[in-house]
Amino acid sequence: MKRNFWKKWGILFVLVLLLSACGFSKSSESSSSQSESDRSGKKVLNLSLENDIPDLNQVTTTDGISFDILNNVMEGLYRLDADNNPQPAMAESVDISDDKLTYTFHLRDGIKWSNGEEVTAHDFVFSWLRALHPDTAGSYSFIISDYIKGAEAYANGEATEEEVGIKALNDKTLIVELNDPTPFFLGLTAFATYFPLNEDFINEVGDQFALDHESILYNGPFVLTEYDQAVGVKMEKNEHYWDIENVEVDEISMRVIKEKSTELNLYESGELDRITLSSNDVDEFRDSEEYGTVTEFTSWYLQFNLGKEPFDNFNIRKAFQLAYDPKLLATNVLNNGSEPAYSLLPPGMHGVDGQPFRDLAGEVIEPDFEKAKEYLEKGLEEIGGELPPIELLTADDTVAKDTATFVQSQLKENLGVDVSIVTKPYSGRLDSMREDDYQFVISKWGADYNDAMTYLALWVGEPAIPFRGNYHNPEYMNLVYKAQEEKDEHKRIEMLMEAERILLEEDAVLGPLYYEGSAYLQKSYIKNLVLHPYGARLDLKYVTFDE
Amino acid sequence: MKKFILVRVVNILITLLIIATLTFFLMKTLPGSPFDEEKLADLTEEARMEFLARYGLDEPVHVQYFKYMANLAKGDLGLSYYYKEQPVSSIILERIGPSALIGFQAVVLGLSIGIILGMIAAFRHNTVWDYFTMIIAVLGVSIPNFVLAAFLQFYVGLKMGILPVAYWESYDHSILPTIALTVGVIAQIARFMRNEMLEVLQQDYIMTAQAKGLGDWVVMIRHAIRNALIPIVTILGPIVVSLMTGSLVIESIFSIPGIGSLFVDSIKMNDYTTIMGLTLFYSAFFILAILIVDILYGIIDPRIRVHGKG
Repeated sequence: MKRNFWKKWGILFVLVLLLSACGFSKSSESSSSQSESDRSGKKVLNLSLENDIPDLNQVTTTDGISFDILNNVMEGLYRLDADNNPQPAMAESVDISDDKLTYTFHLRDGIKWSNGEEVTAHDFVFSWLRALHPDTAGSYSFIISDYIKGAEAYANGEATEEEVGIKALNDKTLIVELNDPTPFFLGLTAFATYFPLNEDFINEVGDQFALDHESILYNGPFVLTEYDQAVGVKMEKNEHYWDIENVEVDEISMRVIKEKSTELNLYESGELDRITLSSNDVDEFRDSEEYGTVTEFTSWYLQFNLGKEPFDNFNIRKAFQLAYDPKLLATNVLNNGSEPAYSLLPPGMHGVDGQPFRDLAGEVIEPDFEKAKEYLEKGLEEIGGELPPIELLTADDTVAKDTATFVQSQLKENLGVDVSIVTKPYSGRLDSMREDDYQFVISKWGADYNDAMTYLALWVGEPAIPFRGNYHNPEYMNLVYKAQEEKDEHKRIEMLMEAERILLEEDAVLGPLYYEGSAYLQKSYIKNLVLHPYGARLDLKYVTFDE
Repeated sequence: MKKFILVRVVNILITLLIIATLTFFLMKTLPGSPFDEEKLADLTEEARMEFLARYGLDEPVHVQYFKYMANLAKGDLGLSYYYKEQPVSSIILERIGPSALIGFQAVVLGLSIGIILGMIAAFRHNTVWDYFTMIIAVLGVSIPNFVLAAFLQFYVGLKMGILPVAYWESYDHSILPTIALTVGVIAQIARFMRNEMLEVLQQDYIMTAQAKGLGDWVVMIRHAIRNALIPIVTILGPIVVSLMTGSLVIESIFSIPGIGSLFVDSIKMNDYTTIMGLTLFYSAFFILAILIVDILYGIIDPRIRVHGKG
């Protein structure tokens, strides 16, 4: 009886053990030891990814992590260089017509897919049309349909392939017709949605496309050799890449690490070559040689809802806009490499003739607490003496909440105004904005391409939408529309500069907060690791090792 | 007995149905959609609906519900919205492995060490052994496992370099996470075991056994442990389920591609199908664990078994 009892226990135990024995995944074979690879003379780069990889399908993907990976295994007609200027890649050169509406791309000789087949102009036509077609398009299809002739109609199912301005003259020549002169179009062709696709291969893999590393055909500097959404990717040099002599890295590992402290430990143990620092760790490493900061084309700002009290009043908006100092926010509160913002467009964004927009336009808003008080008094008179209760809407991540608290305390200190904070999850904030359920909000926009239009087109307000603060000013709208058609780049930029000034200074729709940045540590032997400030950010093609 | 099993199965199905229904409607009250991004928010209401229509998300919630349930009846958990085009079932299967392994090791280790410590403490009641065990237990309960995990990672992984700092590549990589999870279990079980043993040792049948002239250890093993184990089995079900379904903190600290973080992420991303899939999976697992515990009762305690049959 008693023996029986223990026997049953034992059987059960063994059963459970067997059941869970299948738990260990295949990954044990790939035990990577960095020092080993170093000794074998291979140049290995070890990086981290801050979250799982959602989708490597270049057409449907929308997130930065996937873009970062794709940018290194794929290549468009052009590729951005270290200064964010487009350089010929799959294309060798381009002829642009005088009216700046027709681009004739000449493809390079010897460009190949990772299976050895040639990359042709047809691969681009196929890919771009696929990115537009209603059945296969993703949420980034606008980045093609907004510019190419007939593309929008095609995307809406109202036009045929022939009516779209994307044509392959022969294997080596691609002709693209645009709606408007678009000075940043070459830069766009470096973006993921514009990468080519091999039609035969796509038909062969069908709906399995991009689900594992074997169901993608590569044409970039590297190819994927391992891909697991929750673990990360491994890459190695693409032997078919046209510019292989200029690629120094042999292997790359990018592992998903969600915890900042883990990243730091792995960096210190030598298992990672570059990490982003959390703001808690910035002070400890600020003086290190391996420390650096980098900003991106992402602007954070307060957006006032012009359809809600009290921000339907210009003077009140202006008072709020001038009553805080973004510099304090960036250095004292955020402390993560972000830069204070006094305008909407981030520094470094293209202007004209190699001059950045910001340098040409100067800063637009200058905080001034005295003036803010004057505006407030004026505004109060106009609305009858008293402010209604005011709520500031924000998302619930730490950075957004800290920013909200900062704004709250500055308004109290400099204006004597009480504001309460409403915190919602990210999607809740977006919902509230869409549904016109906010007074003012902490919001942001990340550039899709390297041009002022990526920001200024958002507020044209036709029709005025709550999501953009119910803003509608015909003067602003006309400036942006005219700039869209303007062929003279100098005149165009001037119009856009004026538009930004109206939006911020004259109409005070937004209050600039900061340009998003990050602080990082990078081993000193890694050089030329390029991070573009927008789009597909990470570029590992240029990385060199300093022995 | 057949009837008993049948009733049980029907009960399980009804429970799962209720859970699925509740989760579905609660989940739909979350703000937003799986495609909430600043980029899409800009679309006009019309264009937005058109986009959502592609995924059947524009329909009234009850229609979506019946469609989901119809698929579920066929055993189809659907495709994930976040991990585009991936079936939820295969995502869960891929992710459960690491979590289950670590959880299982923690249960086995925690249970064995906990029971032994508890026994020693009870048997050597009010001695140094007892105090020592209880100090461990109190520490184990009060130190959160993520603190321990960070501590182990920093000292054992980074400073001493004995075990890997993070990642999931070989068996060695499972050791630190297992230890971090185990300590809490040990503490919980040891305290429980000690109290139960103390109670059992007061019972008349123990005195009878001692009076028969049986040695201390024989009394302990034959009579005391078995009775003290019954309450342990009761808490075992929930412990096994919670450990084997993954720990968000441990998994993210050690960068383990487990299931714990998947659940939290899926809720954050409004990944409806994954939320549903995981909830149903957890529930089924939990119900199964309760069932096993019920069976275990029968094995350990004949009195319950007899009742069960009646």
